[in-house]
Amino acid sequence: MNEQLTAALAAEEAAIYAYGVIGVNFDSDGDRTEARSAEQAHRQRRDYLVTTLTDPPASPAGYELPFPVTDRADALRLAIQVEDGVAQAWRPVLPVTTNADRGTALAAMVDAAVRATRWRRSAGVTPVTLPFPGRPQS
Amino acid sequence: MSGLGHSRRRLLVVSGAGFGAAALTGCALFGGDPEPPKAPDPLQPLLDEAVALAAAYDRVTVTQPGLSGRLAPLADDHRAHAAELARVIGAALPSAPAPGGSEPAASQANAAVTDLRKAEQAAQKTATAACRQAPGERVALVGSIAACRATHVEALR
Repeated sequence: MNEQLTAALAAEEAAIYAYGVIGVNFDSDGDRTEARSAEQAHRQRRDYLVTTLTDPPASPAGYELPFPVTDRADALRLAIQVEDGVAQAWRPVLPVTTNADRGTALAAMVDAAVRATRWRRSAGVTPVTLPFPGRPQS
Repeated sequence: MSGLGHSRRRLLVVSGAGFGAAALTGCALFGGDPEPPKAPDPLQPLLDEAVALAAAYDRVTVTQPGLSGRLAPLADDHRAHAAELARVIGAALPSAPAPGGSEPAASQANAAVTDLRKAEQAAQKTATAACRQAPGERVALVGSIAACRATHVEALR
């Protein structure tokens, strides 16, 4: 279970970092509010994982973005990628958890998927949904 | 001669009736105590829901073709769920919508979308509950279906 939770933690930490970059590339209050609340949600999941893991690894010092982010379109693309990635990281936690822990994992995955759909709609990406959120995309 | 014929026929009739009665009794006996039915697969309700939801979207797009671009991908998601669930359960994929499903009030586009949204919310609850109970080898699929239904609720907002 630690292996899966550690991977989820890495995804949440990457998301927190990414939202810092995403936020500064947004101009409108609406986008910024959305990004802030997403970042907050990821911080809460991160805190949950840090307290749940017996020996949580230290967070990495820095990240390399998958592509340069210099405007709103880039930021939205990164936000979609980040949320898809978070959902993918939580999915393997489901089979190794039960009861409340599984409920938390599912909620984390569902929330990430819903945010990804919102960002897709903001970016004008269609379709706005994936048939199997969290399933690794080929 | 004719008397004999009669009595033979009557005999046949009587034995026929007797046979019928025996058969009926047999029917009643076995009918009242059928083989214990195989318990339905715990994911069967999810499969039925996926099929019914896809059909509900299809019905709305027939009366509201303007919504097709928005709704068709969501219906496709449900069809993908149904195919995957049928495979996992080992059941035949039901081709017809579940009977007794309520028709969406499709006279207005808004009302139709609101109805679909309510159905998705209910379906998300079913999937969330199923996720809690699902064994390890099925839970990832059920979790993805729950997440997808949640994104549909968002997409219909």
